[in-house]
Amino acid sequence: MNAGIMVAVILLPIIFGAPIPLLPFKTRKQMAVYVESIVLITSILAWMMLFSQPEGSFILFRFTGNLSVSFRLDGLGTVFAGIVSVLWPLATLYSFEYMKHEGHEKYFFMFYVITYGVTLGIALAEDILTMYFFYEMLGLVTLPLIMHTLTREAILASRTYLYYSLGGAAFAFIGMIFILTYGTTSVFTPGGVIDLARLGDKKDFLLVIYVFCFCGFSVKAAMFPFSSWLPKAGVAPTPVTALLHAVAVVKAGAFTVMRVTYYSFGTELLRGSWAQTVVLGLTVFTIVYGCSRALKETHLKRRLAWSTVSNLSYILFGVALMTPLGFVGAMSHMIFHAVMKICSFFCAGAVIYKSGRNYIHELRGFGRRMPKVFVIFTISGMALMGVPGLCGFISKWNLAKAAVQSENPLAYVGIAALLVSAILTALYMLTISVRAFFPGRDFDYGTISDVEDPNWMMMLPLVIFVIAMFVFGLHSEPIVAALESIASIMN
Amino acid sequence: MNGWILLPVILPVLSGIFLLLTSFREHLGKTGSGSGLSAVGNGMDEPERHRLHLLTCTVLVISAILAVTAAFSGEKSVTLFYLMKDIPIYFHIDGISRIFVTFTSLVWVAVGIYAFVYMKHEGEEKRFFGFYLLVYGVLVALDFAGNLVTLYFFYELMTLTSAPMVLHNGSREAIMAALKYLFYSLCGAYMGLFGMFFLYRYCDTLTFMPGGTLNPALAQDHRTILLIAVFAMLVGFGAKAGMLPLHAWLPAAHPVAPSPASAVFSGIVVKGGVLAALRTVYYVVGPDFIRGTWVQTTWMVLALITVFMGSMLAYREPVFKKRLAYSTVSQISYILFGLSLLTPTGMTGALLHTVFHAIIKSTLFLTAGVFIFECGKTRVEELHGIGKRMPKTLWCYTFASLALVGIPPASGFVSKWYLAQGALGADVGVFGWLGPAVLLISALLTAGYLLPVTMKGFFPGKEAGDAEVHSGTEAVKEPSAKMLVPLAVLAALSVILGILPNPLINYISQLVSGLM
Repeated sequence: MNAGIMVAVILLPIIFGAPIPLLPFKTRKQMAVYVESIVLITSILAWMMLFSQPEGSFILFRFTGNLSVSFRLDGLGTVFAGIVSVLWPLATLYSFEYMKHEGHEKYFFMFYVITYGVTLGIALAEDILTMYFFYEMLGLVTLPLIMHTLTREAILASRTYLYYSLGGAAFAFIGMIFILTYGTTSVFTPGGVIDLARLGDKKDFLLVIYVFCFCGFSVKAAMFPFSSWLPKAGVAPTPVTALLHAVAVVKAGAFTVMRVTYYSFGTELLRGSWAQTVVLGLTVFTIVYGCSRALKETHLKRRLAWSTVSNLSYILFGVALMTPLGFVGAMSHMIFHAVMKICSFFCAGAVIYKSGRNYIHELRGFGRRMPKVFVIFTISGMALMGVPGLCGFISKWNLAKAAVQSENPLAYVGIAALLVSAILTALYMLTISVRAFFPGRDFDYGTISDVEDPNWMMMLPLVIFVIAMFVFGLHSEPIVAALESIASIMN
Repeated sequence: MNGWILLPVILPVLSGIFLLLTSFREHLGKTGSGSGLSAVGNGMDEPERHRLHLLTCTVLVISAILAVTAAFSGEKSVTLFYLMKDIPIYFHIDGISRIFVTFTSLVWVAVGIYAFVYMKHEGEEKRFFGFYLLVYGVLVALDFAGNLVTLYFFYELMTLTSAPMVLHNGSREAIMAALKYLFYSLCGAYMGLFGMFFLYRYCDTLTFMPGGTLNPALAQDHRTILLIAVFAMLVGFGAKAGMLPLHAWLPAAHPVAPSPASAVFSGIVVKGGVLAALRTVYYVVGPDFIRGTWVQTTWMVLALITVFMGSMLAYREPVFKKRLAYSTVSQISYILFGLSLLTPTGMTGALLHTVFHAIIKSTLFLTAGVFIFECGKTRVEELHGIGKRMPKTLWCYTFASLALVGIPPASGFVSKWYLAQGALGADVGVFGWLGPAVLLISALLTAGYLLPVTMKGFFPGKEAGDAEVHSGTEAVKEPSAKMLVPLAVLAALSVILGILPNPLINYISQLVSGLM
């Protein structure tokens, strides 16, 4: 298949999404059909592209010299594009129901659809410049989504988000310039592109830049100490927090870190250096830090957001191990966490949509009024904890396997951190379920008699996610084998 | 095809899920009225209850028969599917599975029959029996597990499915106790998992092999981290077995759970921790790897401290079921001490004590249940004079107590004999004599906390007893046959196994000699 399809999937949602506020829709339904068809067509094109694996790259346009905006599909890009192209249509379906009560839908869907194209742009970028371009764009197009409610809180949150992501991008920019200067090429190449002859004895300089670059890109992945924007951004409508702040935006952060680590700087140079110790230490700390903050949090969505902080650092931990196995662990957690977390966010969204309640202590007895949602929420909680049989266990196993294999003492500490985080996850997820299903003898169900399970538009994505969690958990072999073959080209 | 050996897993699990779903659906229909938890469950009418009992009883008995048949039909193995590339969910029946599955099935059926009557006053019977069946299926699978990951899989499931039995009555206390149970168990399980990650790297396979599968060439340079990993596993699995420092869930969970649930928790579920520790040490790591290391010493010390501390706390405890819970803490550590000796005799003692304790402790909890069910008495001092009203029940209690204390010829004597022999014969330095000494002191304490109930029960003394008997326990009589028969059978077994222990001892020593 022609490589041009890559440009098509990126531009289609951007071009057709941008004019949504201008189009004269007569009813809400017309807009819904329009939006869902753009998203679905894009996804279908994306799947066609992923299955046919077009060879070669497509250069959109050139700057001076060897700088260009160009696209190519490779293994890692397939994984990320695969995640977003499956989740986007489902999340859009969910949004139609959810956004009824939020208002300003046209603007919301405009940005929601544009973000899809931009995220695919990151996945398909062939070189660091293109990736950086789309990475910056992602920060800008998601800003209005956080601001959506236009409350004071939302505006403050979006401002924080803006500062963090601009700051992060600035550090990432330094890394990019370094690659452009010292790399043989700016194109992503498995194993890295640093020209050792040109680098000479400036290895420490490289390491400093790497740490900058890692931190810069992982601002979007909410690594400590750059994590506080994510819980604040929880003021956005739930489809945004679920899809963007649990999957697209934050995973774009993790994805870019993978790109620069494995495809630009190269693990050969970094493994065993102090730079690895620094980034590994930061991720290990964030794993525990995120969970502890989640446990302290009483606001449902913010709790899940802190949980995302912790789980993203699982991915970064895998990346920072700098071994092919670590890469496999990171990619598997990238996929599985996407499913688990979007599922738990959608459950939270269903609760908010149906009852208007935001705090965990208000959820007593909900298990009986919204049984389907809370059963699914409990399953997603167990998956996050890493109960065997669900997908979370597989990625945790892969990460720990990689950590043991690396024989790095700090990685052993990391395993302990993973397990401490698992127990904390159990605490902050299962207490919600227990509260919902066992409100205590004296509880009066009359007080929540108006609450019920949502309709099929919200339930369908949830059911699909639950099935996916079980399928990945019980039969992970094909997917892990595929990830292993992606990682094997590193050596 | 060996697939049929999984029938005793599938049948109770499916019926359990069926019961849970119907119970849940009934609730959904009734929540509109705004009633509380218990009101709904009590609304069950007699024919319906009868059907429930019939279903549960049939499923239990059939699965128990299937489980025992499967266990004794030779060394069979089944690979169900591959969880990961080189890690199958794999079941294999060996001598250890046989022992565990047999006593599990026996106790589970007996307690199940007892629970038919008992659970009437707790309500929510469908939910209870749903989980009861579910946990049974999971336990059979746990006993049949043929590799460490399968074991871990069902270990986690056991924790998750048994927790609702603790919070059964829905009171705030029960919920907190269930959460405590859940988090101690999960914490333990994760420590176990921590070790498993390392064993996966340094063992040839995680499949259970007598003598262990550790790869000496690989493990040589990583002894320190491997020992830490094994230690984490022992402490972690010890959480379920109530070993220090993760024992605190036991005394919290037992008093609030319905008595049949406490009986199977103390008798059976805690043995899951014993099984996991045993499999890890004797079938994966290999006893030779930890013999003489700090891991063995620390394990022994922890077990001995727990033995002593458990007895001490039980001695001081006035709430009857809590006292029994502390007693479990102490007794399970007898078993762990036996395992930590790493000698054939010690392990024989440990396995014997596993079986005997399962039977004895469930008997004791069932009698505690009778006292609660018939006269609502939960504290030891309220039981003065109870022997006059319920002599049969109290006799059952007395026999079981004597067995637990270890008075010959009751069963506890046999296992303790082997434990002491094992300690004296093992090359463990000071623990060779310290161990038996602690066991002896603890036996005295056991007599001190169990037997006064009998004595005051039959001989309440003049003034105090008369007042007690005539005021509170006037209407109290022996429980119905459905409760009394399982109780009597278990009590009788606890004595008979001590009088005729040889078949069991022969079987176990044969098994153990093949292992070391």
